[in-house]
Formats: sequence, structure tokens, C-alpha cells
Amino acid sequence: MLHIKFSKQNKSVCEECGNHLSMDSMERIKPSIDPNTWIPLDEDTNSKDVLSFCDEESYENRLIRSQEKTGLPEAVQTGIGYSNGTLIAPGVMDFQFMGGSMGSAVGEKITRLIEYATQKLLPLVLVCASGGARMQEGTVSLMQMAKISSALHYYQVQKKLLYISILTYPTTGGVTASFGMLGDIIIAESKAYIAFASKRVIEETLGQKVPDGFQLAEALFENGLLDLIVPRILIKGVLSEISDLYSSVPYRKN
Amino acid sequence: MEATCLPRIYVSASAKASSGLASCASTSNTGNSSWRRFSCLRNSRIGVMESLQMSQNFEFNNWRHTKMSKKSVACVQVLRAKLNDTERKTHDDDDEYPWPQKFGTEDLEGSPLPFLSRFKPLPNKPKTVTLPFEIPLLEIEKNINKIRETAKATGMDFSEQVNELQRKYDEMRKELYGQLSPVQRLSVARHPHRPTFLEHILNITDKWLELHGDRAGCDDPAIVTGIGTIDGMSFMFIGHQKGRNTKENIYRNFAMPGPEGYRKALRMMRHAEHHGFPILTFVDTPGAYAGLHAEEHGQGEAIAKNLREMFGLRVPIITTVIGEGGSGGALGIGCCDKMLMLENSVYFVASPEACAAILWRTADAAPKATEAMKITAHELVELDVVDEVVKEPLGGAHGDPYSASQNLKEAIMRHMKDLLKLDPDSLLKHRKAKFRKIGAVQEGVKLDPRFKRKMKPRDAHLDGEQPPQMT
Repeated sequence: MLHIKFSKQNKSVCEECGNHLSMDSMERIKPSIDPNTWIPLDEDTNSKDVLSFCDEESYENRLIRSQEKTGLPEAVQTGIGYSNGTLIAPGVMDFQFMGGSMGSAVGEKITRLIEYATQKLLPLVLVCASGGARMQEGTVSLMQMAKISSALHYYQVQKKLLYISILTYPTTGGVTASFGMLGDIIIAESKAYIAFASKRVIEETLGQKVPDGFQLAEALFENGLLDLIVPRILIKGVLSEISDLYSSVPYRKN
Repeated sequence: MEATCLPRIYVSASAKASSGLASCASTSNTGNSSWRRFSCLRNSRIGVMESLQMSQNFEFNNWRHTKMSKKSVACVQVLRAKLNDTERKTHDDDDEYPWPQKFGTEDLEGSPLPFLSRFKPLPNKPKTVTLPFEIPLLEIEKNINKIRETAKATGMDFSEQVNELQRKYDEMRKELYGQLSPVQRLSVARHPHRPTFLEHILNITDKWLELHGDRAGCDDPAIVTGIGTIDGMSFMFIGHQKGRNTKENIYRNFAMPGPEGYRKALRMMRHAEHHGFPILTFVDTPGAYAGLHAEEHGQGEAIAKNLREMFGLRVPIITTVIGEGGSGGALGIGCCDKMLMLENSVYFVASPEACAAILWRTADAAPKATEAMKITAHELVELDVVDEVVKEPLGGAHGDPYSASQNLKEAIMRHMKDLLKLDPDSLLKHRKAKFRKIGAVQEGVKLDPRFKRKMKPRDAHLDGEQPPQMT
């Protein structure tokens, strides 16, 4: 049993077992960004019902309900701010808003963040927490993967700027198959669930029994898919150290 | 038969008497050579696969709608004569190697490339599959056959009735296939006899050479890569390959590639860029393989890398969806300058069954999900995701594969001509812009503060700094 107040003081990390519980975007941004330096981008950008989708409830109503419940217009917050004296461009996804699903608005906000960071030559940090692509937006949400990857291509390959992706609990589906795994440095939180196909999909479609701990960060680390596993309390420090290391390169021919 | 440099199908002599197509007796006087070369009939109006299938009693529908030139008729008659020949020699290694144990002099004439192609016609003609909405057509066809048999047995003339029924059949077919619903189009896209990637390739290319391997320990059979020529111009071809029967499907893993397949595709794409081949990709997959092995080896990472790298390839890329386009598995080879879709193909972010199970909580809602998700070609053109819909012949691509391939070839060459005029930098910009514009957002309207209460508000007091503007 964890008391919420003490849990939040400890950054939602269980003191006994070290399990990192999920954390919403505001709680991530507040401690990481130096005070009085945050400028949010695209605050009023939110989704449109492009397919006029209606399952048990219409997509529009679902959006409004999520917005009221979570206090967020979309599943990602983007902006720029100083972190330990370095100006960075963080984007933080939030699992609470419709399971962190990536729709057009999330794709657009992240693409604009990357384009802004390209223009201003800022290091990019994307914190991923998502259940996958937003099915209510159909193939349009699938194309967001390509859109973000194309912006990242210009950012990483042509401009050679630094992109750090932080994978948190849970990161699945389209996000893992696009920007989540494209970081120059991929950091995961301890025991984060990171997968392309979720456990349920593997078991139901293929009947293969998934061993315990199969798609956790530690297992991916053993398989060589991550650079680092960093406990939450150290993330801010680690990011600024990495920024320092990359900016002290003696041989940079652009 | 002409011996021109056309894709040739090597017909093995090892198949047993019951297996029609691939069995061709060796009666040549070259002794050991147990193979007979069978030229593709370029000038006829039927393609390779069809000409071989027509050597058996081909289906009523397809027979009626194809015409054979004199040359092709002659070829088929020769082949039929061979098929009836009961003396056949067995060739034990037939399944492993497509080339004969000993080459005769006639085998060495012309291009050697067809020897290297392991994709052969099926030994047994596949069983007909009727889709649920085609059942009325099947009944009329049965009636026509019954009347024909009666006419044969009794010797009476029923041609008027037959013609009448035939006319009705044609009209109904046109009506049915002219207005397919999304659920029906999905069933056509998943039809077991829908032409696969390699069948299209062999119908549209003059030369074809399959290339293998990711140079890192695996050759994924679900993704086929190779180089070939269309109208004398060389291209790199990459595509998902489904199987034509259960055995092949198991070998090809139902066209669900693992990370090795995407790495193989990336290697070939880089190779194409290096040498100047424009890239043609063909998408036909239910999705990327979702197994333990794939997850361990970085399925997500392989797809992500492909997505990013495809936006930097300085050669034109055209993607065609020829069957199902399954989510990330399809997009992994689908970041292109032009996206084409065959009329009855689909492209979805999650299969309708999965979507129904998650959103409607029951798999029975799959038809509703199919309608709601807007996955068919025409709907995607309206959403500006797809550039062109390539028409299929009446009856779907599986009814007339050669025509479908020719329509595809014409559309691809038309778009390629436009893309080849662009220089590499413009090409990259154009590709980026194509995907940049996809997406529908609402903005410019200040949201209710209740909906932003959990967002960190601006607290920067940077002097002279305006709110971030994108130039």
C-alpha cells in the first residue's frame, strides 16, 4: 500500500520494490524543467474526427470526455525549457489521455516540436508512453508514424542533432515502431513495458506463451535494444550529463 | 515457340502424372536433360501464369474472358500433349533446385536468369474458392452447366436459354463487382487466389533476378527482393510474398515479416540508392510478425529504422498495395513518393477484427469496424493518403491476373516517368511533403481552460523573446 502523497514525493517510485509507476506528463515536466523557463508549444492543437468514427460512442464525445477527465487537450505536451542550464525541446506523452494513443494531433505536435528543434538546433527529448496508434483515426494515424520519422530523418541524419528517447511504462505499438526506437540514445525506465506487439496479441494470435518479464526494459536491455536503464530520480542529471558529453566533441564537421 | 529473352518458367519433369501443370515429359533427344524450356508468350494477350493454367480445364469464367493468339494456342497444345504423356522421369531434387542436374545445349541458349527463379507454377490446380457474395453467380453458372450437359446428352439445342442465362450472369457480375462494399472488398483483398507479389512481377517484368539475405544471419522468406526490368528500365523490387497454398503460406509465414525481413529490405533499398535503381515496393501483409523471436530481435526498431531511412533515399520510390496493407508491417516498406492501391486492396492501422475486439469488445463487430475505419482504396484517396487507385478487371484480380498486372504496370510507369524528371533534393522534399500534410487537427480556437488544467502553463520571462514562431 503506497500513500499517494509519499509516492508522489518519491516520483511515483515504490520505495520497497523500486517499481516505477506510471506518471502523468505534468509531474514529469515540473521537476525536470528549471523554474520560469518553460514555453509550451501548440497548446490549443487537438484532434478532429476525420473519419466520423462511431463505435459504442462517437469519437468526438470520447475526446471531450477524456479532455474533461484528464485536464489535457491531447496525449502529448510539447514545449521548450531550460534543464540544468541547457535549453532543450522536450515532448512528454501522457498515458492517461485515451491510453496515450497517437492520432493526428499527437503526430502534428511532435512533428512541429522536431521542426522547431531543427530550426533552433536544440537537443530533443521525447518521453514515450503509449498504447499505440489511435484506431478511431484509422490509416491517418498510421501515417503519423511516417510523418514523425521523416521529420526525425532531417533532424538526425541531415542536421546531426541529438535525440534522446525515454521509454516509459507502457510503450507499445506504433510508437515503438517509429520514434520510440529511433533515439540516438534510448533510455528506459526500470521495469517499463516496451513492446511492438503486446502480450495479449502474441498469446491470442499465435498461441505462444509469453514468459514473465519478457517485454520489460531489463529483457530488452539484455537483447541489446536499449542504451541505458535509468531510475527516475536520476533522469534529469543524466540528461544534462549526456548533453554535456555530446556538446564537448572536438571533431564536428557539419 | 520463340526463344526470346522473356521470363521463362522452367517446367520440371519430376512431378507425378496427377499433377498437371508442372509436369512435362522429357522426350528430348539430349538424353539426360529432363527439362523443357517453355517460353513466355509475350505477344499473346495472356501471361505466363495464365497460359500454364489454361493447359488444364480452366474455369468457365476465365476461359470466356481471355483470348488466345495462334502462337499461344500452339504452345498450349504442345504442353497439353506433353501432359498426357505417361512416361515421365523423376527428378529427386526437383523441390530444392530449379535447375537441371545436367545442362543440355538448348538449356544454355538465351538468358540464364529464369534458372535462378525458384518460383514455379503450382503442381496442382488450386481448388476454387467462392466468396459469400459470389454465391448467386455460382448458382447461375451451375444452371448453365446443367443445361449444357443436357444439351450434350440429348442433342437438343438449348443455345437460347444458355445465352439468356449467360447475359444474366454477365449483368449480375458487373453489378456485383461494380459496387462492392468495404467488407466485400476486404474479402477480395484476402482472397486465397489473389495474385501474389511474384506473380505480378513475372507478368510485368522482362527480366527478373531475385536477391536474398540481410547479410546478418537470415533470409526472411516473407519479404522478397530483387532487380528486374520493365520496358528496358531496371528497378529494385521489394514486396511481401504470400503463399499460394497452405504449404507455401507456412514457408512464407503468411507474409508476416520479422525484423530480419525489414533489415533485408533496408539493405536492398540502400543498394538501390547506391546504384541508381528506382524502388518499387509492393505491400501485401496482414501485419508484421508478432512472435517472441521477432520481439527479441527488435521488430519495432527494425520498422522504425526503415521508416526513417526511406525518407533519405535519393531515388524515386513507388509503393503499391496489392492486397492487405497491415499497419506498421506495411508502412515498413511503404514510405514513398507515390502510393498506389489496387481497387480491391485495403490499408488499415489495425485489422478490423482486432479493432472490433478492442473498441466494440466483440469480434462479431468486425464488419462494423471495417465500414467505420475507412480502409478501402477509394476512401483513402479521399483522405489524401493514397495517390491513385489502379483498376482491377471485373471479377477481381484473382479472376484475370494478367490484366490486373498490366493495369498495375501502366500506372507505375506513368508515375515513374513523372518522378524521374525530379532531381534528388526535390524528390526528398516532395516525399516529406506528401506525408507532412496527412493529418487533421483543430487549432486556432482557444480551448476551454478546464481542458488544459493539467498542462504546464508558460512561466518563462525571457526578455525580448516572442512566443515560439515557426518560420
